[in-house]
Amino acid sequence: MLLPACIKSSLRITLYKPLRWNHIAPNHHSSCSNRRRLSVPIFRASSISTVSTAEAAAVMAQDGPTRQYPLQVAKRLEKFKTTIFTQMSSLAIEHGAINLGQGFPNFDGPEIVKEAAIQAIKDGKNQYARGYGVPELNSAIAARFHKDTGLTVDPEKEITVTSGCTEAIAATILGLINPGDKVIVFAPFYDSYEATLSMAGAKITCITLRPPDFSLPIEELKSKISKNTRAILMNTPHNPTGKMFTREELNQVASLCIENDVLVFSDEVYDKLSFEMDHISIASLPGMYERTVTLNSLGKTFSLTGWKIGWAIAPTHLIWGVKQAHSYLTFATSTPMQHAAAVALRAPDSYYEELRKDYKAKKEILVEGLKSVGFNVYPSSGTYFVVVDHTPFGLPDDVAFCEYLIKEVGVVAIPTSVFYLDPSEGKNLVRFTFCKDEDTLRNAVGRMKERLVRK
Amino acid sequence: MEEKLSSVAKSLKPSPIQQLSLLAERTNAVNLAEGFPDFPAPSHIKAAAVSAITSDFNQYRHVQGICNLLVDKMKQMHGLDVDPLTDIAICCGQTEAFAATMFAIINPGDEVILFDPSFETYETCILIAGGVPVYVALDPPYWTLDAVKLLDAFTVKTKALVLNSPHNPTGKVFNMNELEIIAEYCRTKDCIAITDEVYEHIIYDNEPHISLASLPGMQKRTIITSSLSKTYSVTGWRVGWAIGSSCMALAIRNIHAKVTDSAPAPFQEAALTALRSPPEYYTSLRTEYESKRDFVFKLLCQLGFQAEFKPLGSFFIFAAIPETCKLTDVEFVEELIKQAGVVAVPGCGFFHTKHDYHDRFIRFAFCKDDATLTSAAYKMQQLVDASGRLRFL
Repeated sequence: MLLPACIKSSLRITLYKPLRWNHIAPNHHSSCSNRRRLSVPIFRASSISTVSTAEAAAVMAQDGPTRQYPLQVAKRLEKFKTTIFTQMSSLAIEHGAINLGQGFPNFDGPEIVKEAAIQAIKDGKNQYARGYGVPELNSAIAARFHKDTGLTVDPEKEITVTSGCTEAIAATILGLINPGDKVIVFAPFYDSYEATLSMAGAKITCITLRPPDFSLPIEELKSKISKNTRAILMNTPHNPTGKMFTREELNQVASLCIENDVLVFSDEVYDKLSFEMDHISIASLPGMYERTVTLNSLGKTFSLTGWKIGWAIAPTHLIWGVKQAHSYLTFATSTPMQHAAAVALRAPDSYYEELRKDYKAKKEILVEGLKSVGFNVYPSSGTYFVVVDHTPFGLPDDVAFCEYLIKEVGVVAIPTSVFYLDPSEGKNLVRFTFCKDEDTLRNAVGRMKERLVRK
Repeated sequence: MEEKLSSVAKSLKPSPIQQLSLLAERTNAVNLAEGFPDFPAPSHIKAAAVSAITSDFNQYRHVQGICNLLVDKMKQMHGLDVDPLTDIAICCGQTEAFAATMFAIINPGDEVILFDPSFETYETCILIAGGVPVYVALDPPYWTLDAVKLLDAFTVKTKALVLNSPHNPTGKVFNMNELEIIAEYCRTKDCIAITDEVYEHIIYDNEPHISLASLPGMQKRTIITSSLSKTYSVTGWRVGWAIGSSCMALAIRNIHAKVTDSAPAPFQEAALTALRSPPEYYTSLRTEYESKRDFVFKLLCQLGFQAEFKPLGSFFIFAAIPETCKLTDVEFVEELIKQAGVVAVPGCGFFHTKHDYHDRFIRFAFCKDDATLTSAAYKMQQLVDASGRLRFL
């Protein structure tokens, strides 16, 4: 099949009047739209409704606990959990709760990037892009990666653009994992990991990161990794804990991987949201580039999570698998957004400094607030999440606490048990996000101060 | 490190067609190969996307309004009653809808019946989900369905059947007779049908597009996949859908949630405008494509192709190389690029079982601006002999 991706390389990049790089777009809408957004909390994109809240509740309710699949549905779906998010969403709508659960901003991306997408649409860039990415985006990704890690990669041969990092993870796993392969993951983990690994038929070995600092249990890793291990799937900065793997930890992982000839799939979507230490890409460690797939996306860094622009960077012998799987999952990625992403990735360092500064301020509001209310707040070095121990409030587990928090306090958090293979490991922990505007954060803290009672 | 690839990825080879693609690019050939338009997308739809981006519809979302509009369409076009809250999954294009459907229903070892020739992607999706593709050849020159061949393809392991109508690459539209045969076997063998209806609005000569799902007993066992791409000339926006019974749609949504989680948000918003296009939009789409079809079909006949089968749908013509020409399809396309500066697709990539005709067909796409088509015609006409036939044909 002639892959219809013969984009003429003579794309002209239009120059704009330079706009200020402000990662927080001016909030055009009044608090009225914020209120609308607040009353439709989202845990999964698939449970969002832009129509009436009653409909939204109905969509989510039907997705509920009585998930009786008929015989015709594939067995792999048994690993797919959606229940808890759905329950929480319905509840949150009912009670008009402030949403610090959903992992995406309630503010928008930079004007300059949005303008670039608009211009691309107007310029007619609306047809299939080259399957593995629009050339200027691949180049921009390579340039940024070089700046961040010192590694030089070939944008044509070592980068595949995907519909968000979620797809990059799916394509990496489906392209590089065989049924029966052993893969190590660290719990708690982003919930697509388990589902996608089960789609590939992998055997999952889970190593739990534990409070208070969620550090790497190196002895446990040594005992569980072997020459039979195919890959380690890791995430740094880490969702949900905010933990960042230190250089020492990465060195330990690296030496074990080299010794046992193991691949690393490194999910680094929050790399620009690193506060307490510098983000290190494991691919940049000696001997690691040849065995690492580095995964990232546009959405978190530029507050455009709905654009679905992600990518995988890996040496040619690994990228082939990712590229192939990707071409059969979505074939190509949204064209105008790719052009805009190329513009975004050329942002000056000041953009990232501002981003960190703003998020740090938000984090302080939330963390101070959570501490003053009585939570045991674990240190989070990166991402826009923070996990806390809720047990001072006397509820039996994380789900019960989150339900209580929605109903009695009017704030949404995520129960972390869904991020573990063994849910009981998360029962003391819940996750809050601070990717919200400061007023929202203050209001949420206010509600908790007022209504949350220590037992 | 090649051993690190998954076994499926290892089995995939870059096609010789990609070499042709590069050659075409290098020589700046007129491209009648790619299955996407070189004319602009409709302005009302682009404007809607621009407005969505400006109004901050840029975070993860599921636009329920799309489902409501699709429900109306299903009722209008096929008399089907679909529940907007439970029966639809919005995906990143029909590609993802199909992939998610495969993952949702195929267990390792399940067989899936496909018609040959067919769009290449279906097979690989089936393989990645652990399924086994089983091909039923459509018979040239009119690509007719042989009921006996179809029946023979069913085994105890048959889980599903894939139907693409209007059809890529042939432009065939499965008629009611053929659909009834397919439906009968699906019912008696308790088989799931997955349809790819992306060319549903690109259909000619007043031929009706009939969805397999509208036949008796079929709605509950059919998953319809389609998208905005071809109907609204926005192949790069990646908004598609799967429509099925509520338990199927739920399973597909769950897979989609883990594969991409969300189709691009601003384009979902724009889809609302697209799906509300007035009837005149679809009429003029058909009329314009029909005249392009007629132009290219006539041209190919004049140039000496054995174009016996005039497509009733899609924007492709699957023209046969005459017996007198000894070139294979790949060789022919190479000559066409080098001598005429025009690109088309060798048909071999669409055939999956050995036939003596598998290298005798060329697919021409006519989803191009009139100027492009005229330019292609002109270039090819420079290379004709006294009888008006292409010299190397």
